[in-house]
Amino acid sequence: MHWLEEHWLGVSLILMGGGVWWLMPRSWQLPRIIGLITALAGAYLMSWGIKSVGGDLGDTVMFWVFATGAIACAILMITNRNPVYAALWFALATLNVCGLFWLEAAPFLAAATVIVYAGAIVVTFVFVIMLAQQSGATAYDQHARQPLLATLAAFLVLGLLLGMLRDANPGDVLVAKAQSPGVTANLLSQPAPGKTLDDDTMRGLGRSLFGDYLFAVELAGTLLLIATIGAIAIAPRRSRGTL
Amino acid sequence: MNEIVITLITIAVVIGGILGACMYLVLAERKVSAWMQDRMGPNRVGPYGLIQPVADAIKIVLKEGVIPAHVDKALFLIAPAISMFTTMLAFAVVPFGPVEQAPSWLRFIIAPEVNIGLVFIFAVGSLAIYGVILGGWASNNKYSALGSLRASAQVISYEIPLGMSVLGIVLMSGTLDLNEILNKQAAAGILGWNIWFQPLAALIFYISSLAESNRLPFDLSECEQELVGGYHTEYGGLRLVLFFLGEYTHLITISFLTAILFFGGWHFPWIATPESTYRFAWLVKLAVLLAKVLFSVFLIMLIRWTIPRFRFDQLMELTWKVFFPLALANMVAVMVVMQFGMPPIVLLPISILLFAVFGFFTVTAKRLELARRRRASLAMR
Repeated sequence: MHWLEEHWLGVSLILMGGGVWWLMPRSWQLPRIIGLITALAGAYLMSWGIKSVGGDLGDTVMFWVFATGAIACAILMITNRNPVYAALWFALATLNVCGLFWLEAAPFLAAATVIVYAGAIVVTFVFVIMLAQQSGATAYDQHARQPLLATLAAFLVLGLLLGMLRDANPGDVLVAKAQSPGVTANLLSQPAPGKTLDDDTMRGLGRSLFGDYLFAVELAGTLLLIATIGAIAIAPRRSRGTL
Repeated sequence: MNEIVITLITIAVVIGGILGACMYLVLAERKVSAWMQDRMGPNRVGPYGLIQPVADAIKIVLKEGVIPAHVDKALFLIAPAISMFTTMLAFAVVPFGPVEQAPSWLRFIIAPEVNIGLVFIFAVGSLAIYGVILGGWASNNKYSALGSLRASAQVISYEIPLGMSVLGIVLMSGTLDLNEILNKQAAAGILGWNIWFQPLAALIFYISSLAESNRLPFDLSECEQELVGGYHTEYGGLRLVLFFLGEYTHLITISFLTAILFFGGWHFPWIATPESTYRFAWLVKLAVLLAKVLFSVFLIMLIRWTIPRFRFDQLMELTWKVFFPLALANMVAVMVVMQFGMPPIVLLPISILLFAVFGFFTVTAKRLELARRRRASLAMR
C-alpha cells in the first residue's frame, strides 16, 4: 500500500490509458468489459489519490457528479461507433464542464460555453453528420484512426497537468506574483477614480477582457474575421438566379 | 417560511400554471382561428367548448404509445422530453410578477440570484433545438430528417438577431438581470418603457423569437404540404403532445420576455407603479403583467392565421440580409448615444430612420431583381 501511495499517479494513468485504448472502436473488437473495468479501476485510484476537495457536502457531491459525468461522457464520446452518438456525448460532456464552471461561481462562462459549444458547434456537427449519412455510417467512420498514439498523447498531457498540480502548492502562485512586480493589472481594468468595482461577475469580466487582455481579445476577433472571410471566399458559388 | 419550501411552491405554481395555460392556449388557438375564418370552433364539450381541453387531454393520455420498429429507440424516447425540459428550464429566471412585493409563500421567480438571466435564457433556448434534431434523426424517415435539417438551420440563424436585438437594452440598463431591467422601467414611468427607445429591437426580437419557436409563418420544419408532419411524423399520443407543450411553453416565455423587456413588465400608470403599496397590490401587478402577456399571445395567434408560410430561401434572406444588419446598426446606434451622453429618446427617430432606409433598399433591390428576371425570361422566349 505504501508503494501505491507514492506512485498512484503513474499507475492510475497507465490503467486508465490502457482501458481507454482497449475500448477504442476498431475493426477487431476485444471484449469491452475488460477495458471498462481497467479504466474504472484507474479512475477510482486517481480519485483516491486526488483526495477530496473541501467545501460543504452539497458542493462536494455536485463536484463529483459533474466531474465523473464529464470524464465518462468524454470516454463514451471517443469510444462510440456511431458519429451522431459521439457528437451527443460531446455535448453532454460540455454541459458537465459548464456545471463545474457554475460551481466555481462563473455563471457567465458556463452560459457562454453552452451557447457556443452545445448550442452552436455540436448542432452544426450533428447537422453535417445527418446530411452525410442518411443510411448508416460507413466502415471508415466506425473505427479510430490512431488509437495508440492518440491515447498516449492525451494521457501524457493529463499526467503532466496532474503532476504539476500535485507538486504545486497554492502559496507558490502568490509568491510568484509578489516577486514579479512587472506584471501588474492594466489600468483599463481598474475602476474609474472615485468608484468601486462591485463583485458583479459580468462587469468584472468585461473590464478584465477589454483591459488586461485587450490585445488578445482583438487578435482573436481579427483571426475569426479573417477565417470568416476565407470561408466565404472558398465556398463554391452558385450560378446567378438559382436558389 | 423555509427557503426550500418557498422554492418548491414556486416551481409547482409555475409548472401547474404553464401546463394549464398550454391546455387552454390550444382551445384559444382553435377559437381564434374559427373567429378569423367565420366558423364556430369547438363548441360541443361544455359551454362554449370550455371543457374541450380536458376531453382532449383524456383522449391523448389513453392513446397507445406506438414506437415504430425502425427507429433509434433511446433517442426517439428522449427527444420529446428534451424539447419540453429545455423550454421549461428557461422559465427559471423569468420574473412572472412583482418580485419585491411577493406574498410570504411565493417568490415570483424560481432562481432569484442568477444575475445573468438573459444569457441563461439564450443558453437554455439554444439547447431546445436538440429535441427537434434528435426527434427527426431518430425517426429514421426522410420527411422527419428533412424537417429537422430545416429546423436546425433556421434556429441557428435566428439566434443571432435574437441575441443582438436585446444587447441594446442590456447596454442601456447596464444589467442582464430581467428583474432589474423591469424595475428600471417601472421606476421611470410609462415614458421609460424600453419600447420608446428600442422599437426596432422589439420588432426584431418578436419576429426572431417566433422563428425560434417554429410557429407559423416560420414552421418550415413541419409544413404539412411538403413534409407530412416534419420532424414529428412518426410521433403520436403523449410524445407528440410533449413536442407541442414545448412549443406552447416557448410561446409563453416569448410573451413574458416581450412584456418584461419592452413593455415595462407589471408596470402600468396609476394602478401598478412602484409606489402603489395598497393591499393586494401584488395581485393587481400580476394581473397587469398577465394581461400584457395574453395580449402578446393573442397577437402571435393572429399572425399565425394571417401571414402565409415563408419559402425557405426567403426565411434565410430575412434573417441574414435584413435582421442581422438591422440589429447590428441598432446596437451601434445605442453605443453612440450612450457614449456621447445624448438623451435616450433620440433612439426613437434613429430606429424609425433605420427601418425606413433598410426597407427602401430591400424593396428596391427586390424590384430590380424581379425586373431583371422578367427581362431575362422574355429574352429567352
